[in-house]
Amino acid sequence: MKISVREEEIILDKERAIYLPKEQLLAISDLHLGKAAHFRKAGLAVPNIVSKNDLDRLSELLEKYLPKQLLINGDMFHSDYNTEIDEFAKWKENFNEINFILVKGNHDQQAEEVYKNLAVEVYEPNYQTDQFCFIHDVAHCRSNLYAISGHIHPGISIYNKAKQRLKFPCFYFGEDHAVLPAFSNFTGLQLVKAKETDMVFAITPTKIVKV
Amino acid sequence: MQKTKGYQQIISWLKTDKRKPFDFQKDTWQYYLEGYSGLVNAPTGFGKTFSVFLGVVIEALNQDRPAKGVQLVWITPLRSLAKDIARAMREVLLAIGLDWVVGVRNGDTSQAEKLQQKKTMPEILLITPESLHLLLAQKGSSSLFKNLKCIVADEWHELLGSKRGVLVELAVSRIKGIQKTQGNEMLRVWGISATIGNIQEALDVIVPEESAKKIIVRAQLEKKIQIKSILPDKIETLPWAGHLGLKLAHKLIPIIYKSKTTLIFINTRGQSEIWYQHLLDIEPDLAGRIAIHHGSIDFELRNWIEESLHSGLLKAVIATSSLDLGVDFKPVDTVVQIGSPKGVARFLQRAGRSGHSPFETSKIYFLPTHALELVEAAAIKEAARENNIESREPFVMIFDTLIQYLVTLAVGDGFDDKQTYKEIKQTNAFKELLPNEWAWVMQFITSGGESLTAYNEFKKVVKDEDGLWKVKSRQIAMRHRLHIGTIVSDAMLKVKFLSGGYIGMVEEYFVSKLKAGDSFVLAGRILEFVQIKEMTVMVRRSKQKKAISPSWLGGRLPLSSNLGAVLRKKYNEVLDQAHQDEELDIVQPLFKIQEERSHVPKSDELLIEMINNREGFHLFAYPFEGRLVHEILGALVAYRLSKLIPITFSIAMNDYGFELLSDIEIPMDDGIAYEVFSPKNLAEDITLSINSTEMARRKFRDIACIAGLVFQGYPGKYITNKHLQSSAGLFFNVFNDFDKHNLLLRQAYEEVFYQQLEEPRLAAALNRIQNSNIVITYPKRFTPLSFPIKVDSLRANMSSEELEQRIERMKKEVFK
Repeated sequence: MKISVREEEIILDKERAIYLPKEQLLAISDLHLGKAAHFRKAGLAVPNIVSKNDLDRLSELLEKYLPKQLLINGDMFHSDYNTEIDEFAKWKENFNEINFILVKGNHDQQAEEVYKNLAVEVYEPNYQTDQFCFIHDVAHCRSNLYAISGHIHPGISIYNKAKQRLKFPCFYFGEDHAVLPAFSNFTGLQLVKAKETDMVFAITPTKIVKV
Repeated sequence: MQKTKGYQQIISWLKTDKRKPFDFQKDTWQYYLEGYSGLVNAPTGFGKTFSVFLGVVIEALNQDRPAKGVQLVWITPLRSLAKDIARAMREVLLAIGLDWVVGVRNGDTSQAEKLQQKKTMPEILLITPESLHLLLAQKGSSSLFKNLKCIVADEWHELLGSKRGVLVELAVSRIKGIQKTQGNEMLRVWGISATIGNIQEALDVIVPEESAKKIIVRAQLEKKIQIKSILPDKIETLPWAGHLGLKLAHKLIPIIYKSKTTLIFINTRGQSEIWYQHLLDIEPDLAGRIAIHHGSIDFELRNWIEESLHSGLLKAVIATSSLDLGVDFKPVDTVVQIGSPKGVARFLQRAGRSGHSPFETSKIYFLPTHALELVEAAAIKEAARENNIESREPFVMIFDTLIQYLVTLAVGDGFDDKQTYKEIKQTNAFKELLPNEWAWVMQFITSGGESLTAYNEFKKVVKDEDGLWKVKSRQIAMRHRLHIGTIVSDAMLKVKFLSGGYIGMVEEYFVSKLKAGDSFVLAGRILEFVQIKEMTVMVRRSKQKKAISPSWLGGRLPLSSNLGAVLRKKYNEVLDQAHQDEELDIVQPLFKIQEERSHVPKSDELLIEMINNREGFHLFAYPFEGRLVHEILGALVAYRLSKLIPITFSIAMNDYGFELLSDIEIPMDDGIAYEVFSPKNLAEDITLSINSTEMARRKFRDIACIAGLVFQGYPGKYITNKHLQSSAGLFFNVFNDFDKHNLLLRQAYEEVFYQQLEEPRLAAALNRIQNSNIVITYPKRFTPLSFPIKVDSLRANMSSEELEQRIERMKKEVFK
């Protein structure tokens, strides 16, 4: 689905990503790599395939849009260093021609070398294009540009008159900022309250629906 | 036995009190001394405690020097029970001059006392199932039970039908296993139980070995019970639905004054707070003379209430199931039950709280909270008269509890997988466990899961140098100890006055909605919320007169099938007026309205009401089979209807019937009705219908907590939980998508199938319906029968439409 914000075109993808054709930039947020392994280390059985599935989805996106840059809008790695970061390094070799950008989030606590060795450019607190300011948590934004954030893992509930309820991850576009859905499937949802003037796009298993 | 030193000592002690033992007590002593295990079945108030307990004492007195170390482990389901029993036991020991210590160990026991117990264990240990498992999770625990002679599961009927019963089974299997390796096979295990429908099975669960010497000792005594309904003067004064019945509260006041002490039972904690406030409002003179008692009230306060009950200081106490069981408060001579007790056994148990001494009559009043409950009152009286008492089905093959137990052992002294497998195969709960299921469970705690799916870096239970499986990580061990148990609740926060002093606990969910300055009710006090500090809710006294009471998300009990059957019969009797029940006379006007607007179903009829209004298209059906069966039946009928046309339903139910609500017209006629209520293809259709609903996912919430996948925190204790927040729903998705063979997932579906669904009961209901007359009516307005379901908010969804199609339609409605 295509929308326009501040007169720049944004493509919303149901795989929980946005693409800016003008910048040739693909942006995702809240990847939480290593979360499953972090759980396993603590004795909670989450299979590896959970993170592998996230990376597979990301591969497909990169092959679909062929961006120059991939921007990760915070919470790239979930916690301490673990094997899933090594797996990520191996995966990333397939995409050496793409420039990886990380806007630091609250979970991104790795040593600087880790990012350096992975050839990920780190920005803190934000990364700006002509029109947009990418920042992990919009509450910390000091820019006049339109902010694109993540962090809260937004979700939306839809009700109808027979008291039926459905819950989906969503894109949120407000007056002065947007919130991206969490990219990782292994994350929960926080319901957002939208105002009349806001645009909210629910992500169903097969497509994006404006609500 | 009569000639032994110990027996004579007991008899002469009883004589000084002008008492003598009941036959069932003497029988129990005899069997105990002969090495039997067994089950004592006696009504409350006849000294069940003194049956097995004195047996153990007599044996000790018969020895030259009474043994030391833990001799008797006495498992009680409730903390409040332990204190009382300890007191009674201490009195006996003192009078007889047996130098044994009685220790209590549960969630209320102070750290200092626990440390003291660690140095020298008491001879008699009163403990909850959870605390017993905590004990097994301690290093060195396997040497504690070397001299143990007997394990007693008190109020076994209460534990039997829950996962806590399985905790008892597992702990017993472990202690037997430990003693066996020490060459000791003398341990006797006794259950003490009120009357239930399956008493033989109750024995076979607590003493599962077929070769064991085991016996049921029944007291041939009958407790006299007098049941009286509190009737409204006019039926209009009672709401058709809703859960309060406060309009009848004024009728309680004379009852309270007339009695020495009254126990008032209410089904939920939230309602008990409301009733407490209301009674004080209408009778201010009661201030300081009534109290409120439930599980979320602070220990000190509960203690004070229980003391005051003993001393007769209080005129009335409003209680939830926290005071259900065998606590013996002498001054209590009257019991009031507010709202449906949902089962005959529970009602009789509560009645037994009054007139506690042998041969005294128990007096219980029933106060209905909505009109239809009057019919329930008549039904309960009949069922009680005919001793039509429910069975308690034991839990089997619950992998969540097994996983928790194995990690418990691994946190303690470690376990040998071959030996432990043999031990648990002996239990009733896991006698059907297959070797490959055992292998999966071991994999789950050691490597994370099946080898087909990789679980890199998984760390939990590892094999130590001595060949035993252990937990090495201190963090994992600590986290595990904090959540041993099978009662899953939302995270609870302690409530404390700014000036100091704890009041009780509320759910985190409730607090999260409060703003500073908001008021709420707890323990009968109106409190003003100030802030949350270090996981404690800080409050001050509020000046307001009224405030919201927190809703605790406790489980609601379904109507038992015994009661359901009697209830159907009573419905028929209302209009024919051939009955003896005053309750039925009172509700007659309501049934006349039902008859006018729709129809009153006879016992060989199933009534279906089709109602169409602003909200949408409703289908109501009334099988009277209890909430849980209706939930499945609702889903089943919804699924079968959705095979006819693409349609989405939301489902609501209560104990009498269920509702399907849709935004498009529901197809219905005689032919369709018999088809959708047909027992044909039942198992298959159920699988399909519950797959599409959220039932399994809901069950999984508890399972994930018990199996240790989701850490839910612990009342008042804050432990850092860095980057480990997750929800059961997330795990459910992960396993559903990537690990279909996960046994916890299977358990979730099986729990839905066997416990919730009660397949035999469902099949029987459908067969009954096939042979009955289905009556379809089209009322213009809600009827007395449909209205209570309407206000019930528990809902599930069922759909055959494409998701997108559904959203599109919902969107059009919501945003038009």
